[in-house]
Amino acid sequence: MTIYNREAFLDRLSERLGTPRHQMDKEPFIHRNQLPEETLADLSSDELLDLAKNTSEALHVTFQVTDQTGLPAILDEYLKRIGAGQLILPTEPDQVADYQLQDWIDTVAKERTVKYWDPKADRATNLATSQDSMVAIGFGDYLLAESGTITVPTTPGQGRAFNFLPTHYLSIVKRSHILPRSTQVTKIYDDKIKSGELVTSNINYISGPSNSGDIEMVLIVGVHGPLDMTYVVVNDR
Amino acid sequence: MGIQTSDKPLLERVKESEQDKFMQASVAKAQDAQHIKREDSRALLGNWEQWRELGEQIRQRALKYLPDYLEQFSDNVEKNGGDVFFAATEKDAVDYIEKIVKETGAKRIVKSKSMVTTEIDLDKRLLAMNKGLQLMETDLAEFILQEDDWDEPTHIVFPTLHKNRDQVREIFMKLGYEGDNDPMHLARFARKFLREYFLQADLGITGCNFAVADNGMINLVTNEGNADLTMAIPKTQIVVMGMERIVPTMNDAEILDNMLCRSAVGQKLTSYVTFEKGQVAGETDGPEHFHVVIVDNNRSRALGSEFQSILQCIRCGACMNVCPVYRHIGGHGYGSIYPGPLGAVLSPILGGYQAFQELPYASSLCGACTEVCPVKIPLHKLLIEHRRIITDQRHMQHGLNNLMMEAIGIGTGFPWLFRTAVRFGHLGLKPLASKGEVHAENFIKPEGSVKGGPGLVGGWADVRDLPLPPKNKDSFRQWFAKHKANQPQPGDQKANQ
Amino acid sequence: MKVVIFSTCVVDLEFPNVGIAMTEVLERFGCDCYLPKDQICCGQPTFNSGYAKGTQRAFRNQIDALLSVDADYIVGPAGSCVAMIREFPEFMKDDPQYADKAREVAAKTFEFSQFLWRVLGVENAGAELDGRATYHRSCHMTRLLGESESPYALLAHVKGLEMIPLENAHDCCGFGGTFSAKEPEISRQMVDAKVGHIVDTGAEILISCDPGCLMNIGGRFNRLGKPIKIMHIAEVLNSNVDESRISYLKQMPV
Ligand code: SF4
Repeated sequence: MTIYNREAFLDRLSERLGTPRHQMDKEPFIHRNQLPEETLADLSSDELLDLAKNTSEALHVTFQVTDQTGLPAILDEYLKRIGAGQLILPTEPDQVADYQLQDWIDTVAKERTVKYWDPKADRATNLATSQDSMVAIGFGDYLLAESGTITVPTTPGQGRAFNFLPTHYLSIVKRSHILPRSTQVTKIYDDKIKSGELVTSNINYISGPSNSGDIEMVLIVGVHGPLDMTYVVVNDR
Repeated sequence: MGIQTSDKPLLERVKESEQDKFMQASVAKAQDAQHIKREDSRALLGNWEQWRELGEQIRQRALKYLPDYLEQFSDNVEKNGGDVFFAATEKDAVDYIEKIVKETGAKRIVKSKSMVTTEIDLDKRLLAMNKGLQLMETDLAEFILQEDDWDEPTHIVFPTLHKNRDQVREIFMKLGYEGDNDPMHLARFARKFLREYFLQADLGITGCNFAVADNGMINLVTNEGNADLTMAIPKTQIVVMGMERIVPTMNDAEILDNMLCRSAVGQKLTSYVTFEKGQVAGETDGPEHFHVVIVDNNRSRALGSEFQSILQCIRCGACMNVCPVYRHIGGHGYGSIYPGPLGAVLSPILGGYQAFQELPYASSLCGACTEVCPVKIPLHKLLIEHRRIITDQRHMQHGLNNLMMEAIGIGTGFPWLFRTAVRFGHLGLKPLASKGEVHAENFIKPEGSVKGGPGLVGGWADVRDLPLPPKNKDSFRQWFAKHKANQPQPGDQKANQ
Repeated sequence: MKVVIFSTCVVDLEFPNVGIAMTEVLERFGCDCYLPKDQICCGQPTFNSGYAKGTQRAFRNQIDALLSVDADYIVGPAGSCVAMIREFPEFMKDDPQYADKAREVAAKTFEFSQFLWRVLGVENAGAELDGRATYHRSCHMTRLLGESESPYALLAHVKGLEMIPLENAHDCCGFGGTFSAKEPEISRQMVDAKVGHIVDTGAEILISCDPGCLMNIGGRFNRLGKPIKIMHIAEVLNSNVDESRISYLKQMPV
């Protein structure tokens, strides 16, 4: 891997700036205020859930809260609403076990085609499977109350295009993973990347379905990404 | 198209804009709608002024140590398995990208919205150099512009603000669209058309909202999802970024994302905010080959100068959304891909005074841009700085204006000269005055008003009436002197003579 | 209280009635007014046109003139010009002779309505004016001087005056000093938008704290043949004053 033309380029900048290079560490960078951390930081768990619901719904997201036991019924009802078509799921055995979804998946597979984002398949296969899927049900990592955002780091079992190619998209997220703002989640990812705990090439912060106002500023929901979004928050302890 | 979109003089472009009533109406509508959305979203966040100070601090820090942060960033991209190319000029940038296209044998390129690639005229240059190459802008607006024979964008966030749904329909009909002019139907057509294209793409080109120095990731902020498809599907990704897009950490990027989304579209966060780098082991999509092209292209002219703060810009477009001049002349009025107050400051730096010397004057200095800018760039002051350089140093202005301004400069510096002017103002302008009806009461006087004249007087009087200055005996100064003389306890005589 | 009147070149050249009204109001509230004769202009027209060097002389002259009387305050009838004076310390910071003086001038200079409301604590100036009016907030007064409350607060207490809010009040009227003369094609469209919004209010009177804007908007009204009465806030506050109506704020604004 290569870096081209760097030294001359940076020397020129430093000359323009009138300061020598490699001075940065002498002046530590301390933010002049902590508003990003402090804003909404004092919300209780119930308040976070309420806020998350309100902001998500304002983004045209269908927002549902359920206990573990109610999850299959919610998903059934969701698929009924979407109608026929292939379902794509991530290959995330731990999460499936966590949410106790295996029985439900087995039942669904009898009624419709269920495919997986397959870490062992190649790019073309996974892209085609996603493209051919009417609906994706995936796992969100965190839910941000302020902005109605789910965060999804790419994993071998839930690739990038999984979140974008299917027509409809549902994300399951734990209630204990609701955070106030993007600041908290970014700090978590930053720390985990630096410690090596999280190895990923891509982290998506997704706030509602794709949209555009490019034609006469009329809001169109569903442009390149999914046409609609559903978040299901599962009470966990 | 490069940075300059028109070589017509400003006045001509202004007149063309005035003909385009649809454009003017939609800009006004967009400005008014964005005003509410933006201010609401900022109010909801709270403490906006302190957020601005923080945003400014992050951007200033990045610029102060720009070489160090770029070094750190490029080291990290390399560590992550990517290539970094530092491009001093637009030609260097295009040549490198062209080389990658050749080496990878790419046939179908997908692009997501990027101002800097428009600035270096990448699309057309790539297409010109490679017969048989296909390239598609996939942002809905950029797609519309491309299919309309590369029409010029009018806004950095809403590039097709000047197009109406009928025009979009006509453009799409050339691609096989058969439906009506409903924006939803038009958008669905674009989705389908572009989706097929995406699935065959072998190279993706994206911009970059922020580049994270300490982990080598790039950060993109979008609403449509096309940028994420551009990063997911093709095997090769080329990121093209202005060199000042750098921020120290992910958290700094995330703070600015919050400010960018509110300022640009009044959203807390846009639908997609993504941190991304080249594929890691085990993943099946995303770029296997990851290149970052870091572009100077005259940005360094601003470094270390009075204009350094313009590089703080996070391209939110808010200054355009509040600018009363932009409201009327629209993006095309500026003749630059960077319009509005940002463009009036930045275009002369990137493209030179020769091409853009008129832009710093296309402002009433009302300060709305400075007030709205999320990273506290003193835009209206930078416009005055440009004017200072143009007049004081380059002497590029000629003729009557120059003489008149010098006369005002001298006049306002020499008391006696000014007093003479006040005394003779009435008489001096009298020959230009004509009698007319009084509509603006308590202002225009029955004895007449100025309706035309040379130089700046003419510029004024082309548009509005100017009352004749009062006769000397009726001036405020004469009144005050008499008034003071009649007062029982005289004040400081020396000052009031 | 000794007050120096910063008359501004616009008032000297076009608006004697504004200077007179302002003086009368200030005297009514106990100010001993002075008008240093060597003052001319804050230097904004040339400075904003890029003639930074050529304007230094105007700055110095203005500072010397305004400080020639040892007054408690300097008060001007134009938000824009006052905002300019407030920027003098920045412009003169490298001038060893004038840096301190610039700070002194800036510290005691106020826009007229701001002075009445914030310094003198006037709540009701005692004026009466029958009619429907709207107020044009000037860009420099609100954004550069940072004063967006005092005129509204004072106008709210004028007897008989009905104030109608102006749509898009935040948009510039297109004056911009020499901009209005240098770019008439742009300025015209801006002032027309402003005139349109004013007409929409149905107001008979247009009030502002900036004579420059009044000159621009009033001049356009006249050219278009649309009726309006142009009034500076000092003229409004000096209308049919009944001193028994005068009242002071219980709490000073912050
Ligand atoms: S100059 Fe400021 S307001 Fe304008 S686009 Fe840049 S960041 Fe936004």
